Amino acid sequence: MKSSTEGLAAKSGLIAGGAASGPEALLDVREIGISFGGLKAVQKFSLRLPRAGLYGLIGPNGAGKTTVFNLLTGVYQPDSGEIQLGSQRLGQGKPHEITAAGIARTFQNIRLFPSLSVLDNVRLAGQLHNRHGLLSTVIRSRGYRREEELLRQRSLELLQIFELQDRADELASNLSYGHQRKLEIIRALATNPKVLLLDEPAAGLNPQEKFALAESIRQIRDRFQVAVLLIEHDMPLVMKICERITVLEYGITISEGTPANVQNDPRVIAAYLGAGLEDA
Amino acid sequence: MMRGTSSVGSDAAAVAKSEAAEVAVKGNGWTGLIPIAIGILIALVLHFSLPAPQRSYNTQILQIIGIVIVLAVSLNIVNGMTGQFSIGHAGFMAVGGYTAASITYYGSMLLWGSTVKHGGFLGSGDWLFLGSCLAGGLVAAIAGYVVGLPSLRLRGDYLAIVTLGFGEIIRVVLQQTGPLIEDIEALQSVGLKQLVPPPLGGSLGFSGIPKYTNLFWVYSILAITLVVAYRLKSSSAGRSMISVREDEIAAQAMGVNIARQKVTAFVVAAFFAGVAGGLFAHSTGTVSPKDAGFQQSFDYVIMTVLGGRGSISGVTLAAVFLTVLPELLRDFEQYRLIVYALLLIIMMLVRPQGLLGIHEVWEMFNRRRRKAETSGSDVSPAEVGS
Amino acid sequence: MSDFAQTLITAIAIGSLYALIALGYTMVYGILKFINFAHSDIVVLGAWGSYSLSVRVLPALGYGLKEVPPVWVALMILLLAMIFCGAIGFTIERLAYRPLRRAPRLNVLITAIGVSLLLQNVGQLSFVFGASPQDMPPLLSDRALATFSFGEGESARQLVIGMVDVVIFTTATSLMLIMQYLVFRTKLGVAMRAVSFNTDTAALMGIPVDRVVSFTFVLGSMLAAAAGFLIVMKYPSISQPAHTIWVLLGLKAFVAAVIGGIGNVRGAVLGGFVIAFVEQFGAFYVSSNYRDVYVFTLLILILLVKPSGLLGSTLREKV
Repeated sequence: MKSSTEGLAAKSGLIAGGAASGPEALLDVREIGISFGGLKAVQKFSLRLPRAGLYGLIGPNGAGKTTVFNLLTGVYQPDSGEIQLGSQRLGQGKPHEITAAGIARTFQNIRLFPSLSVLDNVRLAGQLHNRHGLLSTVIRSRGYRREEELLRQRSLELLQIFELQDRADELASNLSYGHQRKLEIIRALATNPKVLLLDEPAAGLNPQEKFALAESIRQIRDRFQVAVLLIEHDMPLVMKICERITVLEYGITISEGTPANVQNDPRVIAAYLGAGLEDA
Repeated sequence: MMRGTSSVGSDAAAVAKSEAAEVAVKGNGWTGLIPIAIGILIALVLHFSLPAPQRSYNTQILQIIGIVIVLAVSLNIVNGMTGQFSIGHAGFMAVGGYTAASITYYGSMLLWGSTVKHGGFLGSGDWLFLGSCLAGGLVAAIAGYVVGLPSLRLRGDYLAIVTLGFGEIIRVVLQQTGPLIEDIEALQSVGLKQLVPPPLGGSLGFSGIPKYTNLFWVYSILAITLVVAYRLKSSSAGRSMISVREDEIAAQAMGVNIARQKVTAFVVAAFFAGVAGGLFAHSTGTVSPKDAGFQQSFDYVIMTVLGGRGSISGVTLAAVFLTVLPELLRDFEQYRLIVYALLLIIMMLVRPQGLLGIHEVWEMFNRRRRKAETSGSDVSPAEVGS
Repeated sequence: MSDFAQTLITAIAIGSLYALIALGYTMVYGILKFINFAHSDIVVLGAWGSYSLSVRVLPALGYGLKEVPPVWVALMILLLAMIFCGAIGFTIERLAYRPLRRAPRLNVLITAIGVSLLLQNVGQLSFVFGASPQDMPPLLSDRALATFSFGEGESARQLVIGMVDVVIFTTATSLMLIMQYLVFRTKLGVAMRAVSFNTDTAALMGIPVDRVVSFTFVLGSMLAAAAGFLIVMKYPSISQPAHTIWVLLGLKAFVAAVIGGIGNVRGAVLGGFVIAFVEQFGAFYVSSNYRDVYVFTLLILILLVKPSGLLGSTLREKV
């Protein structure tokens, strides 16, 4: 996997005429926008997320961060612009097609399947790549049994990595809040994504939990070689783990860069402190 | 692509091994058919162990119970597992019943010159009958596909109205059909004029259907229905359906094609309803347009609500209970629907998930035991972000 | 030409009835977001209530069941039926729906079906209305208000504008105008619209949500009762309470509400007339056997093309 990344990088270096232009973008978002009945919720949003990159998306409440996620995952169709994942165009895909293509997400307001068990929540996400049909299910063909058993083992392994295997048979709704947030991430990973979108994963967690979360997000990125885009209100957490940050305000990208750059950008400071842009 | 199969990080070595090594599954390709074979065997025993007069009252009741269970359990795939709300299930049953009836009625006439029962147990008549039931199921499944399509755009209560409207359309259309062709001579000299509208008995109903249905057929098909329903529920396919019920947006985000799940649920449910319609038509010897009406559909809706939306055993029990109860109470008929109505209202107030919720009877005991074991461990806050 | 005009007149009369019933569906849906399945049974109650009142009140006042009493008797019966149904509507909301205010919509829908079944079958009991059809005593004389003649000889036709059609149209229209005034011009109307927009916020703003919901049910039920009364004026033979005819009537009115855009008061009125026109003209020019089929086909078509209805607005679910 590593060699292929290098190969791609080298190739892009050749084209760009220098290796300095940074890594090849896995997820390439070009100027997408959407408006709801005249309200421009997101305008000309662009993002180049490299393989295994860990980027952040921040901005005041109502800035359009979740709308960006909804655009990326096909919940909303963008009015303009293009989304490309690897060599694949995603623009107008349905949510399940986009998940199959390799973008998985968590939700700001936890959306687990409450009356399914923890294991079944993970299995549900993992079955995406099943190949057996309805008939094999009904007659329980060998192929079906093999795939289901493999799915069960994989799901249990995932739970084990996140130390939730003991709760596998419990109902998802019986988990503690922190565990539910964790299960959302596990579930997204079970779809086997190339890009993982985390929508405020630290919301409602206490400081220790937040610290652990920051660690595990990094580990997830390293372990699963997945690119992560993170919406978060907790600035220290974002600044600590993200390589690059995009700042949205009123649907417009007002700043983009490394944490240090973004932190010192007067427009960002103005947006967060509420001063008018004219003064900045 | 490398990512086509899962690789799980630094533990990837271990996982990769399990991937490479074939997952061991017991049994061969036939193992999956064992439960169905057992079911058919039971049906066979039931058929021959009951005393001779096949048309006796008890046999008739047993047949109806079996047919009602097939209908309730199949409706439960749509209403319970997938969380859609169909109140047109009787419409699918009527479609299947009429299809099957016209095949055996006119088929026997053409093949054997009369509509009386032909051949003995598993004789040629029985096979024609079985084929007609399957055809009824297939035609109903096509109808299910058509009715399922609006569910892609409509949620809950709107869909309920569409399914109800479907049942009513079927009823009205069946009422407009032409009179039956009574004998072989008339059938042979039939012109196009008598076939449009098709001769299905009009508002009087389709009568004189050969009574091929017996306990063997009813309980074999019931066994197949139960096995299929349970296997759906406990498989990836069933989890997809349940996820649609729980949260469509999250389901999509997990890669579930919710449109496909909904339509599949409708098609499968309609198929079994259609087969049940075939059994019903050949059990009573008549089907009539009013069998497609929503009053009939409500009966099955009540069974799924009462038994537990998603629970196959719960719905089965409810179906048995609600079929036997009116038989036991002779003067009950006037009050039957009042009791049903009160049951619905009270259930929604007291236990909206139904008696068993999504669980099966046997799981209830496990769950209780597990709860006792794990009580005392950290209990989660009930309210989780909204 | 005269056939066309006659069909038009019937369609207008029937359309105003559908609109009247559809308003009840749409108001409840607007506020509580569920289909009040039992609404059509309130119409039945209105019809049977009018009948029961008539056969008791008329002899008591010294009028025979065959002669037409003065207009005030009809008005009184209409009012009493409306009050009776309003009270029933209030009770149903209080006992069956209010405890489910926070429950999933499907549960409320199932409850509504339960209430509907209950009303139908209690109504069928021998000591309530009974399970056989009855004939409504004439409260209005259905004399022709205007007669026009067309054509000559074989093709001679007459166009009759009957008293009952005119009464139906004027009563329904005035009730709808009162509704319009209530919803858009009064404080109570503002409260209703606020609750419909967002129940929680309305409650926080100090709007007594429970009282507004109760009022909506009472209002809708009274309109349904009026519709029931007007129906038996036009079609005096009343089918038994659980007869399919009633359920279909309610369903069509609901379809009217959906086609117009459920939750939208003006849409319900528009939908009512659309349905009536499709049904009446379809029955006249194609085949009257399939009149229900036209309505449901129209419903399915409109839902597929514009799920929010003609005047409805789409809502996006927040993710």
